[in-house]
Amino acid sequence: MFNEIKESILLSIEALRSNKLRAFLASLGVVIGISIVIMMGWLLGGLDKAMQDTFSVIGTDMLYVDKWDWTEHRNWRSFRNRKDITIRQAEQLKELHGSAEYVIPNINQGSTTIEYNGETYVGMIAVGTTAENVHTPVGNLQLGRFFNELEEEFGSNVIVIGHLVYTTIFQGEDPIGKTIKLNGRPLRVIGVVQKRGTMFFDMIDRQMFLPIKKYAGIWNVDKRSMSVGIKAGLDNNLDEVRNETIGLMRIIRNLKPNEENDFSINETKAFEKTIADIKFKVYAVGIGMTMLAFLVGIIGIMNIMFVTVTERTKEIGIRKSLGAKKRAIWIQFLVESSVLCLIGAFLSLVLCSVIAYLAATYLPLYFPEIGFLLPVLPTELFVIAAIVSLVVGLLAGLIPAIRAANLDPVEALRFD
Amino acid sequence: MPKTIIDIRNISKVYKMGTQLVHALRDVSVSIDENEYVALMGPSGSGKSTLMNIIGCLDTPSTGTYLFNGTNINELNDNELAEIRNREIGFVFQTFNLLPRASALKNIELPLVYSGVKKYDRIDRAEAALKSVGLEDRMEHKPNELSGGQRQRVAIARALVTAPSIILADEPTGNLDTKTGNDIMKLFQNLWESGNTIIVVTHEEEIALHAKRIIRLRDGLVETDEINQNQVKF
Repeated sequence: MFNEIKESILLSIEALRSNKLRAFLASLGVVIGISIVIMMGWLLGGLDKAMQDTFSVIGTDMLYVDKWDWTEHRNWRSFRNRKDITIRQAEQLKELHGSAEYVIPNINQGSTTIEYNGETYVGMIAVGTTAENVHTPVGNLQLGRFFNELEEEFGSNVIVIGHLVYTTIFQGEDPIGKTIKLNGRPLRVIGVVQKRGTMFFDMIDRQMFLPIKKYAGIWNVDKRSMSVGIKAGLDNNLDEVRNETIGLMRIIRNLKPNEENDFSINETKAFEKTIADIKFKVYAVGIGMTMLAFLVGIIGIMNIMFVTVTERTKEIGIRKSLGAKKRAIWIQFLVESSVLCLIGAFLSLVLCSVIAYLAATYLPLYFPEIGFLLPVLPTELFVIAAIVSLVVGLLAGLIPAIRAANLDPVEALRFD
Repeated sequence: MPKTIIDIRNISKVYKMGTQLVHALRDVSVSIDENEYVALMGPSGSGKSTLMNIIGCLDTPSTGTYLFNGTNINELNDNELAEIRNREIGFVFQTFNLLPRASALKNIELPLVYSGVKKYDRIDRAEAALKSVGLEDRMEHKPNELSGGQRQRVAIARALVTAPSIILADEPTGNLDTKTGNDIMKLFQNLWESGNTIIVVTHEEEIALHAKRIIRLRDGLVETDEINQNQVKF
């Protein structure tokens, strides 16, 4: 059996070589089908990676108590009507919380102007926070250090800048110890956060962190709602921490038992749904297109195999007269259609590798939001492409192969 | 008493051509022993091709029995027939019927591939067969690089390579000039003399005269079946 298949593979490669153009055209449908599968897998792989990146930016063991819900955009009016989370409430939560490792109040301000070296920059986000933020993903610094509790206590003139702030303002220059002016106040740069931005969180690299007291010296803290970061410490502690947080917040915000929460607990889980939605759309479109392409592909291969069988009727007759059993004949043609499809798969992989590399390398330069594209195809796609093409080849070759195997030897030998 | 290889008893073959029934063979009984040299003669439409196809196990009779080496061919399925063809019958065709893309050696190996012979053994045996027809220097040539006579020698080597019980040649000189045809017939004579059983199907008297026994068919019946007193030998 193995020997037969080996012989058939050599035979079919020879047969295909003698008809290169036809083989290529016949496998075009399969090339398109497999390319779609590969590109779909590639996109999904990128999305998965983006999701993992996002999770590590947010922290899988982090909860964020907010007025807003991160993923619920439809009912934003009902969120707007919620009362702000005040700095006092954030402090109360910190004091009362028992199960969380850290409770970190944050307050954001988007209308900032930065002056440095005679230039003015807008569009960065100032975040008033506490020194404990060093224990969250924000604490992964590329340069320098985070501000400490003493600096927090005194509201010192220090600032830790996000990666985009660093590249925009300093352009490679060492920023540590340099003084920038934030809305007119001089602040000393003491650290730079690692690049963290992903497609879901592209604003994150625009952040700059300063002690909450310093922030209060620049902006009115009562004008904005706080976002309280809560680090559970251990992932498996998350449920307990979440329950305590909800309970405490209800008490702090004086909610009656029949009232709904007037705050949101945001966490990485929220993004799983968003990602699942996107993935579902990619799948739906991809599977539809794939089915169509494979249908066309199978018909194309089947058609060419019927032509091949007809063309080689005489050969089949000769083989049968020499003692080829039915199995030998159908193996020969099944192998041939499979080899045809495998060649298609190989072409697709080459094509898609080039596309993936070029797209991932050059497209994000113009469209930063698709920076999640992978430059190299995930390895499992090679296996999937091979298996899928094999299945298509076998399906497409089945009927022609059976027809070949069932040819009457006398009739076949008479054929010219 | 020589061993009987082919024992055909009262066979008939009926084809349907549209609504008409065609009786290609009506009531034919033939028995052929080991190491016979038989010519099967008859004009076209006499049923000789049908008889050849049945002898070669490419086809089965409508009625009657066909025992090949004692095996009842009527009872065999397609795969068992293929096995008989593979092991017991060596075909030689008028149009040579070599695979055009395969070298001479590969063509000769083919029956051995189907009987599951290992590669090294296969090559050895194919080379020996090619040598026995005097073409050892043409092993890697493709059919279109060989002359007609050489192609037919390759075909004969292919028929010989499995050491079959019979060699069944259908108009083996039909596509060859007289001289080359004679060379081929000489080869058959040598094969016969070295113990092979040979059946040649032909409509040419000259070719039939090389055989030891001549069976003449007409209208689906055996007309005569006699020893050739005037056997032409080289």
